This record gives sequence, structure tokens and C-alpha cells, in this order.
Amino acid sequence: MQRIDNPDFKLKSPNKFKRAAFYGVLLFSTSVFKVPFAVAESQNDSNSSVELEVIDPYLEVHTGPGQGYPVIYTVEQGEKIFISTRRPDWYEISTEDGHSGWVKASQIARTLLPTGEPVDLPSVSYGDYLERSLYVGLNVGQFSSGELESSDTFSFLAGFRAFSWGAVEIEQSQFYNADYRGQYFGINFKLEPFSDWVVSPVLTLGGGEMEVTVQPKQLLSIEQDDYFHYGIGASYYLGRNFVMNINFDKYDISTEQSDKSANRWNLGFNAFF
Amino acid sequence: MESRIQRFLLIGASLSIFLAQPALAEESNGQGLDNTASHSGLELDNELFEIGFTAGTINIQDFTSEWSTGINATFLATENAFLQFNYLKADVGLSSYEKSQGQLIAGDDREFKHYDFLVGYDLYQGEQFFTGNKAQLSALYALFGVGDTNFGGEKSFTYTMGIGYRVALTRKFNLKLDFKNYRYESNLLLPEQTNNSQGLSLSINYLL
Repeated sequence: MQRIDNPDFKLKSPNKFKRAAFYGVLLFSTSVFKVPFAVAESQNDSNSSVELEVIDPYLEVHTGPGQGYPVIYTVEQGEKIFISTRRPDWYEISTEDGHSGWVKASQIARTLLPTGEPVDLPSVSYGDYLERSLYVGLNVGQFSSGELESSDTFSFLAGFRAFSWGAVEIEQSQFYNADYRGQYFGINFKLEPFSDWVVSPVLTLGGGEMEVTVQPKQLLSIEQDDYFHYGIGASYYLGRNFVMNINFDKYDISTEQSDKSANRWNLGFNAFF
Repeated sequence: MESRIQRFLLIGASLSIFLAQPALAEESNGQGLDNTASHSGLELDNELFEIGFTAGTINIQDFTSEWSTGINATFLATENAFLQFNYLKADVGLSSYEKSQGQLIAGDDREFKHYDFLVGYDLYQGEQFFTGNKAQLSALYALFGVGDTNFGGEKSFTYTMGIGYRVALTRKFNLKLDFKNYRYESNLLLPEQTNNSQGLSLSINYLL
């Protein structure tokens, strides 16, 4: 009884959404800002930058993290530098006499730690693709023949590579045609038996639900139906954490009247973490 | 339907941020570093993501030119290339055709909504001297990608191409001026008409 009289209690259920939204935003913002926070902490730390000794004849210091930015300074052999920031292929450094700028990662790789050991800076390679296993991706393609012929498509993917030879992913796709459009959402299993090859073959097996959302002319019998697909493709390691892939898939869609088939090709890439 | 897609995108975006975190943390806490450097306490600031707000004008074919607002998120992939997600929307007024012939579309359908996923490449990197001796890093870049345009009750597969100019304001903030062309099929006025709409936008971005 007391609880019902309590105005706070009455507010509880309509506020559920607000509260969920609040926690959602909180979670999101902490996840987004976690990186800068971590950085701020590390900057307070006395070890916020790494001290290195130059062993190349000289290091070229650019104004920005790119080959196109001008060289403003050189650090000579034997001098000490401090690294503070990493960008793809570049490091921001400062020198003992107060100069700062950006040096290419390949040059930083030829420096020594105060202990005299060569520095081993973080890098990402194809080996990480086979070991580390989460990825997100995008691909673009077209239904080339069959039921959805000449529809343009694109898909977003998120996957988990459990083994060097296999992965499971979820796929959300949109397809567009002058007379209709729709989408499908499904789960795919990827088999990549020769993943150490430069161009490695990939087999796909998957299924999900396809929905034609708009079709004024009623050309298709697909409304909201299950589909199954299988296909063959190839993946190629582009560098860093990117893998390019090309696929050709055959779709079987079970509609109320009959089974329809469609073929789709696509070209895309995955970024792995 | 739409909310399902939006939910998926939201989940996708939050998932990718969560997924990216362990990798970043691992790299910055020196785990990816091998024993030689890890005991030196190497903690580097990784600058790989950028988020920003966009405002500009968009010229919608057969309709009007309108103010647009949007958000964007960029992943710096290499020293020259980046991947970018953009979302923009604009409220579309009556076109001159509609003023004389009557309104074609109404309500929610009059909002132009677009999202795309682009690959960008720095063509020229350099420095800009807006104020005397202070050098500001700049770059001219090209953009290409695909996306979705939702307008007039139609959702259309869209090819986006553009060119942009980036100039650093401070170490963490930069300004981008983009000109993009959105190419998509539409049946609003004529059947299967290819539309080209152009957007000019200015965005302010923060490097995470």
C-alpha cells in the first residue's frame, strides 16, 4: 500500500525508458571517451612518452603525419627522442631541445631503447587477422540473375573468426531496384581452409530472412520469407587490418508459392580488430 | 522497418566501438609490443578515430536547395586513406513545380535523409598559412562510396563521390569543407530517372 502511495513508485514504469536511455547514453559515452581518458591518465604518468636513441644517420621530422608534409628538422645519430602519439604509419616525437614533429614508423623501428635493445613498435599483420578474431565489414554488389536481377545491393557485416579456417558473421543487406526494394538479415558461416594463401578461397553458407519492403507493381512473390544461400569467394590481405574480398553467392528463397533463386556478386572489405 | 535498420546501425556502431577498444587498449598498454618495449611502460596515444558535426546546403534535383545537418565518424586507416560514415538530413520545401502544380509529397516524406559509407584518400597534403607564420596542416582529398537516400517515400541506392579540403584548427580539432555528388534512381517525377543531388558542407571534427 505504501508503495502505491509513494509518488516515486508511480513514476517508475514510465521512467523505465528514460532510465534505459540514460544508461545507454552513459555506456556509449564512457565507451567513446574511454580512450581519451586512458590517454589523460597516461599523460599524468611519468612514463607517458617513450625515450629512444636514434641509430640511423638521421631521422627526418615532418610537420604532419604524412609523406606530403614538409620536413622541418632532422635528429642526428645518437640523439634522444621521446614518442608520444601514434597515427597509422607515423609517430609524433619530441627532442631533448624541444623540437617536435612526426617521424615515419619505419624510421622509428631503427632506434634503440635506453637499455640498448631495439624497439619493437606495435604493428598489425596478416597473422593478427588469423589470430585476432573480431571484424566489421562492408560490401557492395548486384543480383546478377534470377529473381532479383539487376538490383544493387550493399551489406554491413560483423563477424567473429573463431578459427584460422572459419568464421561466423551477421549480415544486414539492402537491395534496390527501379520497381522494388528490400532488405535481408542473416547469419553466415565462412570456411577459409587455406587462409595462409595470398589469395585465399572462401566458402560461404548462410541463411536468414528476406523482406521486400516496397513493390508497387507486385512483380515479386517474395514478401517476408526465409532464404538460404551458399557461395564461393576469395579474400586478399590489403595491409594493416584490412582484408579485401570478392564473393559470388546463390540464394534460394522460399516463398508461399514456390522457391525462387537469385545470384549475387559482391566486392568488399573487412577491418579486423 | 526503418527503426529496425536504425537499431541495427546503432548496434553496429556501438559494437564496432566496443570491438575497437580492446585492440586499442592492447596496443596502447604495450601488450602488442613484445617484451623489449613492454617493460619500458610504453603508453602511446593512438589517434585513429574522428567524430564530427556537419552543416551545409544540399541541392536536391527537381526540388529545392536546403540547409542540411549531419554527423560523421572517420576511421584513419593509413597515412593517406580513411573510412568515413556520414548521416545527413534536410527538410525540403516546395519546388517551383509543386508551387504551380500542387504538392507531390507530404509529411515525413519531405525530409531528405541520407547515409553513406565512404573511402577517402588524401591527394595533396600540405600546410596553410591563414594567420602569418602559423602553419596549419591541410589536405585535399577525394571521396567515393555508396549509401542510401530516403526521400519522398523512396529509398534509393546511392553512389557518392566528392572532393574535400581539411585544415587543422588545433592539434585535436579540424575543419572539413566537402563537395559531394549523390547519384541515385528516382521515380518521383519521371519513371527511372537518374538524379544527381549535390551537397556543400562544412564540418568540425574532433580526433579521439
